[in-house]
Amino acid sequence: MEVDATLDSGSEGKSYGTIFLDMLLHFQYQTLCKKIIYICMCVCVCVLDEARRRSKNRRAKAQRKTKQVSDDEDEEEDEDEAPRKRGRRKRTKPQDSDQDDEEDKRRVRQKGAKAPRRKAANEERDEESEEDQGKRKKGGRAPSKQEKEDQNKEKKGNVKGKDETNKGSEKDKKKKNGKQSRSSSSEDESEDESDEESMSEGEIAALKEQVEEKKKLIATLRNKPWRMKRRLVLLKEAQEFVEKFEGALGKGRGKKLYAFKVMMTKVLMGLPYGSIPRKTVPRSEQDTAMDFSVLFDFGVRILASSLCQGGSLLRVYPACCPILGYCKYSILFYGYYNNERNIGVLKFRLPLSYLLTGVGIFGYSLMVVIRTMARNANEGGDGGDEGEFTFSWKMFTSWDYLIGNPETADNKYASITTSFKESIVDEKENQKDENIHLQRFLRILANIMILCCLGGSGYLIYFVVKRSQDFAKMDPASLTWFQKNEVEFVMSLLGLVCPPLFETIAELEDYHPRIALKWQLGRIFALFLGNLYTFLFALFDEVNDKLETEQELKNATEWAIHEYNANYSSYYNTTDVPPLVVNPADAVRGPCWETAVGIEFVKLIVSDMQVTFLTILIGDFARAIIVRFLNYCWCWDLEAGFPSYAEFDISGNVLGLIFNQGMIWMGAFYAPGLVGLNVLRLLTSMYFQCWAVMACNVPHERVFKASRSNNFYMGLLLLVLFLSLLPVVYTIMTLPPSFDCGPFSGQDRMYDVVMETITQDLPAFIGTIFTYATNPGLIMPAVLLMVLAIYYLNTVSKGYQQANLDLKKKMKMARDEEKNRRNNKDSTNQVMKDLEDLLPNKSLIPPPTEEEPPHDIVIEKGSKSTKMKPGSAGKGVNLQKEVSLAATNPRGPVAHPPRARGGPPGHLRGPLPGPGRGRGRGAPPRT
Amino acid sequence: MGSRASRLLREEEIEEIKKETGFSHSQITRLYSRFTSLDKGENGTLSREDFQRIPELAINPLGDRIINAFFPEGYFVLVIFREDQVNFRGFMRTLAHFRPIEDNEKNKNPATEPLNSRTNKLLFAFRLYDLDRDDKISRDELLQVLRMMVGVNISDEQLGSIADRTIQEADTNGDSCISFNEFIKVLEKVDVEQKMSIRFLH
Repeated sequence: MEVDATLDSGSEGKSYGTIFLDMLLHFQYQTLCKKIIYICMCVCVCVLDEARRRSKNRRAKAQRKTKQVSDDEDEEEDEDEAPRKRGRRKRTKPQDSDQDDEEDKRRVRQKGAKAPRRKAANEERDEESEEDQGKRKKGGRAPSKQEKEDQNKEKKGNVKGKDETNKGSEKDKKKKNGKQSRSSSSEDESEDESDEESMSEGEIAALKEQVEEKKKLIATLRNKPWRMKRRLVLLKEAQEFVEKFEGALGKGRGKKLYAFKVMMTKVLMGLPYGSIPRKTVPRSEQDTAMDFSVLFDFGVRILASSLCQGGSLLRVYPACCPILGYCKYSILFYGYYNNERNIGVLKFRLPLSYLLTGVGIFGYSLMVVIRTMARNANEGGDGGDEGEFTFSWKMFTSWDYLIGNPETADNKYASITTSFKESIVDEKENQKDENIHLQRFLRILANIMILCCLGGSGYLIYFVVKRSQDFAKMDPASLTWFQKNEVEFVMSLLGLVCPPLFETIAELEDYHPRIALKWQLGRIFALFLGNLYTFLFALFDEVNDKLETEQELKNATEWAIHEYNANYSSYYNTTDVPPLVVNPADAVRGPCWETAVGIEFVKLIVSDMQVTFLTILIGDFARAIIVRFLNYCWCWDLEAGFPSYAEFDISGNVLGLIFNQGMIWMGAFYAPGLVGLNVLRLLTSMYFQCWAVMACNVPHERVFKASRSNNFYMGLLLLVLFLSLLPVVYTIMTLPPSFDCGPFSGQDRMYDVVMETITQDLPAFIGTIFTYATNPGLIMPAVLLMVLAIYYLNTVSKGYQQANLDLKKKMKMARDEEKNRRNNKDSTNQVMKDLEDLLPNKSLIPPPTEEEPPHDIVIEKGSKSTKMKPGSAGKGVNLQKEVSLAATNPRGPVAHPPRARGGPPGHLRGPLPGPGRGRGRGAPPRT
Repeated sequence: MGSRASRLLREEEIEEIKKETGFSHSQITRLYSRFTSLDKGENGTLSREDFQRIPELAINPLGDRIINAFFPEGYFVLVIFREDQVNFRGFMRTLAHFRPIEDNEKNKNPATEPLNSRTNKLLFAFRLYDLDRDDKISRDELLQVLRMMVGVNISDEQLGSIADRTIQEADTNGDSCISFNEFIKVLEKVDVEQKMSIRFLH
C-alpha cells in the first residue's frame, strides 16, 4: 500500500520532484529496487514542496481550477531552474503548449468521469504512476548514453556537446510535463494522503534536501564553467554522497515489501543464476503463468481449479504440459539448473555437484538403512530366550510406574490387555492342529487370486498410461476432465481398493495374525511397486518419444541458424555475422524430458497427498461424525455394529511412508524440489494424522503388535531403495540428457561431467589411477573378491547362528529336565526324592564326604568318650585334633598293629605322635 | 519450604538417616521438604490418604500395594500402635530402595547389604505381589493383580489361564507358587538396578 501511495504522490510532484527524478535517471541503475527507493525519496521532497506551495496558493487564490494550478506550477518550476534552463526555454515552449492541449483533453475527459469515487481515482493513479515509471526507465537509458557521449565530446572541447545536452534535457522536460499534467488531475483526491505522508516522513526531509542538492549539482555540473578535473572530483563526491544516503533513506516498510516482491519474482523466474531460456517462461505461457490456479497446477486439478474457476480452466489449457505456471521453470525442477561449469565467486561446480548429490543421496540412504537394520538385528539377538517367561514378564513388569495422567493410564491398561490377549492368541495358535490339506488348498487358492489382482492392476495401469499418451497427442480442448487425470485417478483408486480386497482374501489362509500381517504388507507392497514400475515403463516410452522430437527440433534450429547466417552474410556482404539475439522468453526449446519426468513424480506425490488427506477426512472424520451423532436416532447400534469407527491401520500407514520415500528417491534427481515438498507433506500429514488418530479412530481390533516387526519394515525400505535406485542409475548411465536444458546439456551422457572433472581439474596421476581403476580387468577380480568375502561371512554367521540355536536348545532341555524331575518326584519314587533332597548338601561339601557321615559320628562318639574320660580341661583343642587325626587317617582300626609294632619308630618320630603324647600328658593331671 | 524443612530436621537425625539409607545431606533435606508438602495433616507423619493424593499412585493398579510398602509392619503397626502413619524415617527407609546403585559402593562393603541392592529391590517388588507375606506368590494373588491390571476386558477364565501359565513358567519346585528365588530367576534378564531406581537430585 505504501508503495502505491508514494508512487502516486510521486507522479504528482510539482517542481523539484520531477526534475530530480529526471536528473536521477541520468544514472543508470541496475535494479528496479533502487529506482523505487529513489522515487520514494523524491516523493517526500515533492510532498514537502507541495505542501509549502499549496499553503501559498491558498493564501493567494482560494480555489483554483486544476489547469491553472498546473500552469502556475510549470511557471514556478521554471523559475526555480531559471539560471540553468533559461537558454532552453524558448525551444521548449511550443512543445509545452502542445502538451497543454493534450492536458486539456485529458482533463475534460476526467472531469466527465469525475463524480469522485475515490477508489476509482486511486486505481487510475496507480496506472498512471506505473506508466510514468516505465517512461522513466526508458528515458533513463537514453540520456545516460548521451551523457557519456557528452563527456567525451567535452573532453575534446567540442561545442556540439552542449547542443546534445540541451536536446537531452529537452526530452526530459517533455516527459516531465506530461507527468505533471496527468498527475495534477488527480491532485485533489490525494491531497490529504500526501499531507499525511509528509508528516510521517518529515524527519528525514533535511537529509533528503541535502541529497537533492547534490543531485542538482551532478545534473548541472556539465554546464558549470569549471575545469574538467574539478568537475570530475565534484561529481565523484556528489555521487558517493547520494548513494550513501539514498541507501539510508530507502528503509521504509513499503520499500521492503516491494523489494521482496521483486526478489520473489526473480527467484521464481530464475534470474539470479543468469538467463538461459529454461529459467524464463515462454512467451506463449506468460500471460497465464502467474494465475493462482495455474501456478500451483500440477495436473491434479480436482481442488484448485474447480474451486477457483469452476472447472472452466480445464478446457482452456492443454493437458500435454500440465504445469504452465512458474513452477515448471522454477528451482523445483531439473530444467532450472544450467550447464555453466562454475558459478559465483567460489567457483561452485553445479553440474558435478548435481550428479554427485543425486548419487550420494542413494549411498547415504543405503548406509543409514543398513546400519539401522544391523542395530535392530543386534537388539533382536539379545532377547533370544524371551519366550521363556513371557507371561511372567508381562505380569510383573508391564506397568509403567511413572504414569500420572488418567488418560495415559487408560491407554496403558488397554495396551496391557492387548499384550495379554496377543499372548493368549499365540498360545492357542501353537496348540491348534487342523486339516492340513484343506489349509494348503485354501492358501494356494488365495495366493492365486491375489496374483490375479496384482497382474490385473498392473495391466490396468499400463493400459491407462498408454491411453493417456494417446490423449496427449489429441486436441486438449476435446478431452474431458476424467480423460486428463485418468492415470492418477486409477492409481489412487487401486491403492484404495486393493488392500481391503487382499485382506478379505487373506482370511482364507488362516495364518497367525503376525504372519498374516506380513503377508498382507508384502502383497500391498508388491501392488504399489508393480504399479510404480508399470508407470515408469510407460514413462520411458514417453521419454524416448521426447528424445526423438528433441533431435528433430535440434536439427531444425541448427538449420535455421545456418540459414540466418547465410542470409545475413549474403545480404550485408560480410562474414562477420553478429549472433542472433533472441529474448529468452521467445527462444525455441526442446521438450526437456528430465523436467517432464520430474513433473510426473511431483504430480504423483501431490495426488498421493490429496488422496491421503481426503481419505482421512471422509473415511475417518466424516464416518466418525456420522457414527457418533446418528447413533442417537438409528435402528441399531452404529458404534458397536456395522460402520463403527475407523481403525487406525499402523502397518498400512508405515507402508505408505515407505512407498512415498521410494517415490522421493526416484524423483529427487529430476525434481530436486521434491525433497522439500515431501518434508512439508510429511510434517503436515504427521499433525493431521495425529489429530485423526486421537479424534476419530479406534485401536485395531486384530491383536498384534506392529512395532515388533521393525526389521521387516526396514527390509522393505531397503528393497524399495534398491528398486528406486535402478531406474535413476539406468537413466544416468544410458539416456542422453536434453541438449538445451539442465546441468548436463550438451553432453552425451550425464556421467561425462565426472570424466571431464577428472581430466581437467585433477592432477594427471589421479586420472591415470582412475583409468586403471575402471579397467574391467581390475573390476572383475574386485567383484569376485567381494562375492567370496560375502560368501565367507555368510557361512560364518550361519555357523554362529547354529551354535546359538544349539545352545539355546541345550538350555531349554536342561530346564525341562529339571522341571520334569521335580514334577515327577512326588508321585514316583520316595527313595529318589530322598536322594535328591540330599543333593544340595552333596554339592556343598567336597567329594570325600560320602564316607564322612559315619566318620563324623564315630569321631563325635570318640571325642565324647575321650571327653568323658579326660574330664573337662582343654576341650576344644583336643576335639579338633582328634577330628584331624581321624580325617588324615581313615584306616584307624587297621593302624593299631603297626603302631604297636613300631613303638621305637613312634618315639623316634617326635612330632607326629605329639597329640597322643599331649593327650597322654594332659591326662595325667586330670586323672 | 526448604528452609523450614531443614529447620525442623535435627542434625543428628539427618546423620542417622544418612547412615541407614545412604542418601546425602541435601537429598535428605529435599526429600524432607517433599515429605512435609505431602503431609496435609501437618503432624509430621503421612497417612494413607496423603499417599493416595499422589496422582501416580492413585492411578497405579498396584498403588495400594506400594503405599502398603511404606508401612513396613503393616497390619502389625495398625494393631499394636493403633495408628496408620509413617514418619520421616520410615519414609526414607522405603525410598532408599530406589536409590540408584553407584559404582563405588558396589564392592565397598559386601557384608552389610545396602537397602538399594539388587536383591533388596527385587524383594521390594516381590512384596508388592506377596499380599499375605508368606514369601510366596500364590495363584490367587496373581489373579488379584491381573484383575487390577486388565480390568474387565478379559474373562475370568482367561485370567485364570494366564495366572496358571505364569506360575507354570516361573515355578521350578512344583509347589504352584512363586517363591522369592524363583522370582529372582524370572527377572534375571531384567535390568532391575536401572529400572527400579529413581534419580534423586543431589
